[in-house]
Amino acid sequence: MSKVAESTVRKLDRVFNPRSVAVVGDKQALGYMWLRSLIPFKGKVYSVQIDPNEFPGIAELGVENHLTLMDIPGPVDYVIASVPRAVAPRIVEDCIQKKVGGVCFFTSGFAETNTEEGIRLQRVIADLARKAGLNLIGPNCVGLYNPKIGLRHTEAQGYGEGGSVGFIAQSGTHATLFSLVGQHEGIRISKSVSYGNAVVLDSTDFLEYLGADEETKIIGMYIEGVKDGRRFFRSLREVSSRKPVLIWKGGETEEGARATASHTGVLAESGIVWQAAMKQCGAIKVDNLDEMVDTVKALLYLKPATGTRVGLIAMSGGQSVVVTDTFAKAGLKVPLLTQSSYQKLATFFNIIGGSYRNPFDISSTFLMADDGVSNLASMLDVMGQDPNIDCVVLELFPVIRPLSQSPETADPILDTLSDFNERSEKPFMLIVTAAYSDALASETRDKLVKRGIPSFSNFERAAKALKKLADYYQFRHEQSQDYM
Amino acid sequence: MPNKIISNALRNGRTVLTEVESKQLMSEAGIPVIETTLAKTKAQAISMSKDLGFPVVLKIVSPDIIHKSDSGGVKLGLGNATQVGKAYAEIIAAAKRANPKAAIHGVSVQKMAKPGVEVIMGMSKDDQFGPVLMFGLGGVFVEVLKDVAFRIVPLVRRDASQMIREIKGYPLLEGYRGQEPANITLLEDILLKLSDFVDRTPEIKELDLNPILAYSDGAVAVDARVILESQA
Repeated sequence: MSKVAESTVRKLDRVFNPRSVAVVGDKQALGYMWLRSLIPFKGKVYSVQIDPNEFPGIAELGVENHLTLMDIPGPVDYVIASVPRAVAPRIVEDCIQKKVGGVCFFTSGFAETNTEEGIRLQRVIADLARKAGLNLIGPNCVGLYNPKIGLRHTEAQGYGEGGSVGFIAQSGTHATLFSLVGQHEGIRISKSVSYGNAVVLDSTDFLEYLGADEETKIIGMYIEGVKDGRRFFRSLREVSSRKPVLIWKGGETEEGARATASHTGVLAESGIVWQAAMKQCGAIKVDNLDEMVDTVKALLYLKPATGTRVGLIAMSGGQSVVVTDTFAKAGLKVPLLTQSSYQKLATFFNIIGGSYRNPFDISSTFLMADDGVSNLASMLDVMGQDPNIDCVVLELFPVIRPLSQSPETADPILDTLSDFNERSEKPFMLIVTAAYSDALASETRDKLVKRGIPSFSNFERAAKALKKLADYYQFRHEQSQDYM
Repeated sequence: MPNKIISNALRNGRTVLTEVESKQLMSEAGIPVIETTLAKTKAQAISMSKDLGFPVVLKIVSPDIIHKSDSGGVKLGLGNATQVGKAYAEIIAAAKRANPKAAIHGVSVQKMAKPGVEVIMGMSKDDQFGPVLMFGLGGVFVEVLKDVAFRIVPLVRRDASQMIREIKGYPLLEGYRGQEPANITLLEDILLKLSDFVDRTPEIKELDLNPILAYSDGAVAVDARVILESQA
């Protein structure tokens, strides 16, 4: 870690792991969203509110209210400010005087409004905070989420158990959505932050912090722009060399006509340069929330991919053709297996109503066979042991009778999958296609997540995620060669 | 310590370096450029051509004329002293016609390079990331197809290697249909030298080496264009 990054970590540690939080300006009109979100918080919670009409509501939540930050008896590590924008400079001054660890401004109405007053106020709070070395997050954001200590920004977010995925988002919505979608997909957050207008702390600060954070093994980022691209680039390169960083770049603004005299200048559009930066640093480019969730899931649960050659197993002939097309289009290879694998398959595979080149169509050998479940295990093992295959992919169709009928018939199948997942040295990817029953698919996915296997909801999403996984491990491999 | 060519141009209020200056700068950075001399008279142009050996190329040298060939400022494949003398006069006349106020330094004389695969390398500054390098195949590939790759400065060897292989036209560099292949390692070396040069020369705003002719045993930039940051 660089010296700069070390000082970032020291600076932000108290804010990310507060033992006391003060909410300034929470009110009935917001449903006391901030104070409610802090109900599970493991430290002390204070409210700062001067409107007497709000006192009973705050008291009802069992929260101690004060008229100013300075009146709070003990130290305050983290402040959430939800105040009218005109009051923001006062609050910043109070934070400085109280020597708080940091403050997040939920308050909006600053430069993002492109109004004279908004821009002026933003400059005022930024100048004050910078001069005093105050850790200011935002404004116009929802700030921190640290589930382990119950620090949240919405009541819907889980708490108690922390995970290993860090998330950094310019937008509050994306930070919230990622954590909520993640909860259903087996993705648990270590720490996340939404940082809005980034007037003091920017994405790079958070990247350096989570890069050094031992709980955080994977980092996802939603970025619209950065203030200091050079510093961001250096940090991204450094952090990506140690843990996967996924970047979802939003807001590709059109650069106006450039006054330029070179070919290079004309062609160097912002989006292209961002892509180059990500590639160069080994960061993983994703284009939307689904890709973010899928790729994080793949990194989190799938074993490291050693290549792009996939073995595909589908429940029917039609699906086996389509899954092959989709994976091939995504840049993955679907090779033939070795002769020895085919010899093994020939001993039990029913080719009437099925086939086993690659892809496998297992309808007759699995679905229609009496010993379908043990056949499934054997087929998975053939793929798992074949030297021509790097990743094993199985399509599961939850509307099939054994899965939908009863737990007695479904459980042995799911157990077979999780057993294989454990013994396989290769990444094992499950695709649970919904067909006509979203409810059944969702139920099956939940059961699989509980068994430690995430599943993917269609061929396209699965193939994209697997390609990104393979590319990432390829990058890691090349990188290790570089330094040998 | 600012570079002499750069400080000289800036002192004269110029942000556009001439071809001769640009090439000299590149040569100092260790980038192979074709030997190019500045002739201020017709007689000089002829004697320089004889020294270099025919055929030669003559180009207008003026900080006020950036698009040289558009204004009749480039004459290729001149095979003898008579042709050089005639070309010299035509170039000067065309330049004066195109821009009567243009400051004309003279005419550059260089040996006509043997054909090779044309590639382009360049640098420009991104609003967020600062200096970036570009690599592509020259001519129609860059102008029409935009088949180029970018990397942020500073580059490491892997970046240089990947950006060359990233372009769709890469097979052409490997020697398509019996054509002489390009020396890829050497192109990587040039990209790394260019990265190193722009990294320590913040005065450069934009730069094109277009084209560089790539051979199996070498590469040479036959044109170079450097634009400096204006001194506010």
